Amino acid sequence: MSAPLLSTHGLVARYGDFQALYGVDIEVAAGEIVALIGANGAGKSTLLKSVMGLLPVAPDMVRLDGRPVGGSQPYRMVSAGVAIVPEGRRLFAGMSVEDNLRVAVDHAARAEGGGWTLDKVFGLFPMLREKRSTPVQSLSGGQQQMVAIGRALLNQPRLLLCDEISLGLAPKVVREIYQSIPSISQAGTAIILVEQDVGLAQSASDRLYCMLEGRVTLTGRSSETSRDAIGAAYFGASHAVA
Amino acid sequence: MQWLDGLIQGILLGGLYAQYALGMALMFGVMRIVNITHGDLMVLLALIGISAAASFTLGPWTTLAILVLIGAFIGYALQRVILNRVVGADPLPSLIATFGLSIALQNAMLQIWSADTRSLPGGEITQASFQIGAMFVGVLPVIVLVTATVLTGGLDAALRFTRFGRALRAAAADVEAAALTGVNPKTVYAASTAIAVAILGFAAVFQSMRATVAPADGPFQLIYAFEAVIIGGMGSIWGAFLGAMVLGISQSIGFRIDPGFGILAGHLVFLIVLAVRPQGILGKG
Amino acid sequence: MSEAVATGHGATVPTPAVRVQRQTVSGIIAMAIGIGVLITIASMPWWASQGLIRNVVELCCYIAVAQMWNLLAGYAGLVSVGQQAFIGVAAYMMFVLAQLWGINPFLAVLLSLIAPAILAVPTYGLLHRLDGPYFAIGTWVVAEVMRLATSTFTYVNAGAGMSLRVMTGYSADERAVGVSLLSALLLLVTIGGSYWLLRSRYGLALTAVRDNPVAAASQGVNVGRLRFLVWIAAAVGTGLAGSIYFLAQLRITPPSAYDPNWANIAIFIVMVGGLGSLEGVLIGALIYFFADRWFGEYGATYLVVLGLLTLFMALFARGGIWGLICKVVDAPWFPTRRILLEDKR
Repeated sequence: MSAPLLSTHGLVARYGDFQALYGVDIEVAAGEIVALIGANGAGKSTLLKSVMGLLPVAPDMVRLDGRPVGGSQPYRMVSAGVAIVPEGRRLFAGMSVEDNLRVAVDHAARAEGGGWTLDKVFGLFPMLREKRSTPVQSLSGGQQQMVAIGRALLNQPRLLLCDEISLGLAPKVVREIYQSIPSISQAGTAIILVEQDVGLAQSASDRLYCMLEGRVTLTGRSSETSRDAIGAAYFGASHAVA
Repeated sequence: MQWLDGLIQGILLGGLYAQYALGMALMFGVMRIVNITHGDLMVLLALIGISAAASFTLGPWTTLAILVLIGAFIGYALQRVILNRVVGADPLPSLIATFGLSIALQNAMLQIWSADTRSLPGGEITQASFQIGAMFVGVLPVIVLVTATVLTGGLDAALRFTRFGRALRAAAADVEAAALTGVNPKTVYAASTAIAVAILGFAAVFQSMRATVAPADGPFQLIYAFEAVIIGGMGSIWGAFLGAMVLGISQSIGFRIDPGFGILAGHLVFLIVLAVRPQGILGKG
Repeated sequence: MSEAVATGHGATVPTPAVRVQRQTVSGIIAMAIGIGVLITIASMPWWASQGLIRNVVELCCYIAVAQMWNLLAGYAGLVSVGQQAFIGVAAYMMFVLAQLWGINPFLAVLLSLIAPAILAVPTYGLLHRLDGPYFAIGTWVVAEVMRLATSTFTYVNAGAGMSLRVMTGYSADERAVGVSLLSALLLLVTIGGSYWLLRSRYGLALTAVRDNPVAAASQGVNVGRLRFLVWIAAAVGTGLAGSIYFLAQLRITPPSAYDPNWANIAIFIVMVGGLGSLEGVLIGALIYFFADRWFGEYGATYLVVLGLLTLFMALFARGGIWGLICKVVDAPWFPTRRILLEDKR
């Protein structure tokens, strides 16, 4: 059997003295949409940061196509075909929409991804086309999120990590953004969705992992996992009593 | 007429200061660090140029080309060996590291070249001048000003329209997000320091053709570059250019009021700008 | 912990037996030695040679200037490369008071401190608008402005400088008593004063500002005000060292008064000794003092080594020599930590 696109093996991560992940094992196959759910502080964002090389981890803990890549510099992860829509969008303030996107085009992965172009991104988010010369800081939150997604896509990823892309946005805008997920997936890109909204995550994904206090507490097919099982995994047995 | 002459001489002097200021603005914009050896590196390049020109009988333009190349190399090495280790939110490590290097560099130059002032023989061009009305304007200072303008415009265009420029602006805005978009920050940093010191190669040739250099001159050039950047507005390439003009004019006019007042006048204008417009002439907010 | 303190006396609630330890054995020993050193310095005229007194005065000035820089860079997060502005302005003020206005020179040393205090206010007002590294270069501009302005100021004899001729009215013994007492006072104020400050509640705030200004601000520390006050205090302490140094020198010129080498000395001492510690300043000052005596004759080569050493410390050993010592033994001379102890029952 061929190796999964991305896998973590006993992934441990810490911020200084504080340990945030306690041996996490997840797998993502090519083209798959995987949701990562869990309460605040469960370690979802930490997991993405560890995969991207923002936190020090051992090489064997993160594998891409079976090859150890843990602790690689972020820009190396990008060129290996992993892109991220970071939490809080993190656009390049002072630069236009187009220049933000062009930075990604300039530094796209060598490996063939979805073959994204500026035109295709503008097709996905038509609003960005008319705003292409606008400085990003004067866009609305939803538009900024679209730029952040477009920027990550233009890195031509085989795997796209989305960190809380619905955070702080109006429900209508969230729907609009989530509508783009299937078209991204159809282009052949695997996606990890980190999401607070469990229902949204469940409906948009093929599989899900639920995390609690730095550990995976539940995994299964999104359509077959019951609300009760998620509830127990989300809050943990001890918390449920309290 | 004396004041008009002062104004013109000031603008021409500003052309030289702009060549110091560009690199400092670039490095601060990207990394938020000030390289205290900025002025010393200009002096070092000038002394290398003077020695090389004398040993191999090079013309000033050949010397210029060589110094720009050496400058780019020195800048790249400086970033890789020293500055990459001290870039960060805390300003202290980069300041102290380059401060120590500055002392070492000044004294090493003192030993190699002695404390004598030296200059680069530039041939006829250093003497040539043309007449506008009743005034004589030197050809060399005009070349310096034109070079400064071209360098500023070129750097500005490179930042706006090239792959490197976009990566640099992205890293300046949010270095972690830039890395997550595929930019290698260390490459960007090394390139910007290489460019900053390469521009000092131009400044070195012009400074040593127009006037003199000595090993202890560096700190003064550092201060002029700094004042130009602050007067013009931090983080703006054309701001640094404009600030250099204001500084040059202030010194030139001050010098005509009293020869002992020239440099001081520049400092005072800097302090006044800091008091009334701390964001600088072109700065926002 | 606050609860334990509040209900500690005779309450029915069992009190967690916790107390705060703020002094250590090494600290008490160091304190005793420190007091002994101060008395020794103050009593120098009765036993030491003129040459020794001159050396000790110089060493005291180095320690004071370095500690004031340490207070700024190591605690308040303000890196200055222009502390010579305060040395020069205080020393010149002392010369004006004593030589031109006829005030007792030893008293003039103390009165002259008004000058650095006054200079520090607008300097901070202007420079605090600049981002970290630019603040540092800004302090250099201020020192340059003071040097150039003094050089054109005919009231203080412009570039030619002044001599403290009034000192001829005092015998050699009287002068020795004066500078020795002032040097002891200088150490008491700069080292003792810093020690007291760091052990006070301001010390906790300063340490918090050093470690994380944003977090400190969110905990109610007025970071801006604290930095301003430390800036003024450091200016006054530096100025006192300047006045005493030039009282002993008897002559002053703008280039010597506003010599950038003062910044070099302070930075070298603190970075080699150990940033953010009083112990480091003492170690660094002794190293600098003896290095200067032994290797100073090598001139430029010696300064190249000094510069490279500073660079090396900034790159690889930010805690300096004291930081390295602390990794081996925990015996602070000036304990400023609060240690929570649990009593055994």
